Amino acid sequence: MHGKHLISVALLWAGLTAVGELLVFADLFPTVGSHEAEDFDSIFRFLLILGIPVFTFVIAVVTYAALTWRIRGEAPDGDGPPIRGHGWIPRIWLAITAGLAIFVMIHPGLTGLAKLQSSATAYGWGKEEADLEINVTAFMWQWTFDYPDGTQVSVSKGGEVVIPVDKYVKFNVNSIDVVHSLWIPAFRMKIDAVPGRTTFMTVHPTRLGDYREDQSYRVQCAELCGLDHGKMWLPVRVVTESEFEAWLASLKPQGN
Amino acid sequence: MYAVKSVAGAMGLGLIGFYLGLGIVAVLRWLFGYPDPWGGEINIIGGWVLGVFLWLMGIGMWGMWGREWFGLKTYQRNLPGWQRYFTFNTDHKVIGIQYLVTFMVVFFLAGALAMLMRAELAQSGNQFLSNSQYNGTMGLHGILMVAVAVAAVIGGIGNYAVPLMIGAQDMAFPRLNALTFWLVPPVAVGLLATPFLGGIEHGWTAYPPLSVFTNSSQVLFSLSIITFGLTSILGALNFIVTIIYMRAPGLTWGRLPIFVWSMFATSWIALLYTQGFAAALLLILLDRLGFSFFEASTGGDPLLYQHVFWFYSHPAVYIMVLPGFGLALEIIAHFSRKPLFAYKYAVAAFLGILGLSGVVWAHHMFTSGMPNYLHGPFLVATELISIPTGLIFLSALGTIWLGRLWLKPPMLFALAVIFNFACGGVTGIFLADVPTDIHLQDTYFVVAHFHYTIVGGEIFALFAAIYYYFPKMTGRMYSERLAKLHFWWMFIGFNATFFLMHLPGIKGMNRRIADFQSELDPLNLTISLAAFLLGASFLVFIWNMVYSWVRGPVAEANPWQVRTLEWQTTSPPPHENFPAPPVVRGGPYDYGVPGSIHATFPSAPSAGFAGAPAGGGQ
Repeated sequence: MHGKHLISVALLWAGLTAVGELLVFADLFPTVGSHEAEDFDSIFRFLLILGIPVFTFVIAVVTYAALTWRIRGEAPDGDGPPIRGHGWIPRIWLAITAGLAIFVMIHPGLTGLAKLQSSATAYGWGKEEADLEINVTAFMWQWTFDYPDGTQVSVSKGGEVVIPVDKYVKFNVNSIDVVHSLWIPAFRMKIDAVPGRTTFMTVHPTRLGDYREDQSYRVQCAELCGLDHGKMWLPVRVVTESEFEAWLASLKPQGN
Repeated sequence: MYAVKSVAGAMGLGLIGFYLGLGIVAVLRWLFGYPDPWGGEINIIGGWVLGVFLWLMGIGMWGMWGREWFGLKTYQRNLPGWQRYFTFNTDHKVIGIQYLVTFMVVFFLAGALAMLMRAELAQSGNQFLSNSQYNGTMGLHGILMVAVAVAAVIGGIGNYAVPLMIGAQDMAFPRLNALTFWLVPPVAVGLLATPFLGGIEHGWTAYPPLSVFTNSSQVLFSLSIITFGLTSILGALNFIVTIIYMRAPGLTWGRLPIFVWSMFATSWIALLYTQGFAAALLLILLDRLGFSFFEASTGGDPLLYQHVFWFYSHPAVYIMVLPGFGLALEIIAHFSRKPLFAYKYAVAAFLGILGLSGVVWAHHMFTSGMPNYLHGPFLVATELISIPTGLIFLSALGTIWLGRLWLKPPMLFALAVIFNFACGGVTGIFLADVPTDIHLQDTYFVVAHFHYTIVGGEIFALFAAIYYYFPKMTGRMYSERLAKLHFWWMFIGFNATFFLMHLPGIKGMNRRIADFQSELDPLNLTISLAAFLLGASFLVFIWNMVYSWVRGPVAEANPWQVRTLEWQTTSPPPHENFPAPPVVRGGPYDYGVPGSIHATFPSAPSAGFAGAPAGGGQ
């Protein structure tokens, strides 16, 4: 008595999954501005590909059951078969769900984490020697970016953060008052700015970009920090190395 | 009107206590030579402690407890009609309804705040609210909804249904039960007073150092939540003792309705972890008075707070959602007219989540700057939780398979729980994975995810339970057509709002901001319109409930033809719940099993009891 229903649900599941998987092709992400963003997008897509069938399986069973086995009269005309779910069905279910969970845990979970923490474009430990180290100080409600030769690029409206393309750029992040969070959506990277400790993250921008054309190029505070938290952001511009040197040089007379 | 006098008197006493507390602290400060004896936040703390105490004494603690301390006889007034809901009543059914109505009111208040936020977020830039007003609105919406999610199902449905389901006359500690409810009004007053002291600026999470620097509304916030934690802990203790010791003869652990199991697991989580939040906020209060637990410049550590806070606040999401699962499974079994599929696995799922709930908290902190070696273990533990959660789905889907689905309003909402949580569960994987979480942390993706799990999982179950128990609680029936209209309206509004909300999160919109990047304007306008649609659906619910409670047709004792004990007595049940103590003979879900009986009432007078025939269902 299961056969017909199993086939129908399987077809419904396949159909819903086929439609659902189209989401993978949708324009979901901001601009891919760095190696880290490529990793994020591919892992996100992978999880989406795996997650959609799980979701549509539940939807298929619930929808099919509600349409097929609903009581049409005013009151139940009898009870359903007393299936208790002993035996092999729950065990197989447990094995499949546990297998899926452990699979996702290992890949992309732990493998992604390992890449994040060990490779040159790292989160946390970072590359031993980055090409450029920028000291970031967060405060209510702006940022100060200090470049290696002491240039203070700050803060108020009108300023912008400029970084060179194809370099390992490491941000050493501090806060002088409350917890903030340094986030650049185009790079998919984020690290909290915590008073009393220095946190860091490294990014490797792969393409030129400018906030004026693309709003995902910005430094945004992502941890609630009080009154003007929503306004605590700065434009970011990724430029070629020569442009970067020129920009840094142009700041020096005024900067110092 | 005794009830009016009693509440007004207790409020007066509370107010006197508050000012007395302020004054005592002021005198002490004056004695110790402080320059400004009235001005400290410690005065508010003194006022709160004495105010809450005298309020409780006034509302009934004096009559029920205080007199004992002086060798006097205690007394309790059992008032008729609506007045009993406004007095210190120890009947679990009264307390359940008190909780439920109170928190529905809070739910709608906090929902109105959400409408305000969505109005502001319909367009980039600030239109209706200043940044400070937005922060206050957002913080208040958050903490009020957290309170609703923690207490509406446990305090409302749990209190009402658990003693009935296990065939008990009341909870194990009825006076304590009443006390937990009457602690709630000061909490509500404290939280709703925060806008007058500048508004909550730090969201519901209250991360220091911001919560140490911010305005004095923080003190009211902390005191309210510490008091609310007391409610939660005492309530949990009461449920655990009740479920262990008050079960009817024959109601073995293997025959316990699944909702009772979920309440059992939930109560352990609440008992074990709630003090984490209270302790964290107590330390914040001390920091505000000059200590330095979290202030880095004087030797503290802001991350310490986040660990202590999430040590409670992640288990808290299971406190919210487990009773929701329990209710959904309970209702699905009865309205599919089938035994609950894989009952033992469902029980194991609740206990498994209870076991894992305490070791996953730092997945909220992947970007916090905590040591990197913590990422791996918390990723692993978090993803393990999907295994017991999967068993809940097994049980639900197995139960509806080949069932006779009676799509009454409670069943529609219960099925929606399964639907919504499937989405909330899948998006959870993205947030448990460190590489994806780093981008998604603190964005609208997270907002969408936890609304899917908590609103989609728990609040839908709460509405399922309200539609399920309304005839039992009030003795009247609601309009089924309006209930179904409410269901479809809310279901569509909810999914439209929160499914779309994932998208700005991925695109780069962070949470807790009044203003956002202009490229997201069309998306946010759509979300706001969907949110208003969702908000409007509750007007149907409110009308249906209020009208039906007053004017609805009289309900039968067992309108859903359900087998569990709460339906084998009158609607509403008498004060002592059952005409005679029930004896349980079989499982609660044995639909379709010939000759099966759940319970009998051996010493019941054969005539004169208007309940359904013993055994029910069949």
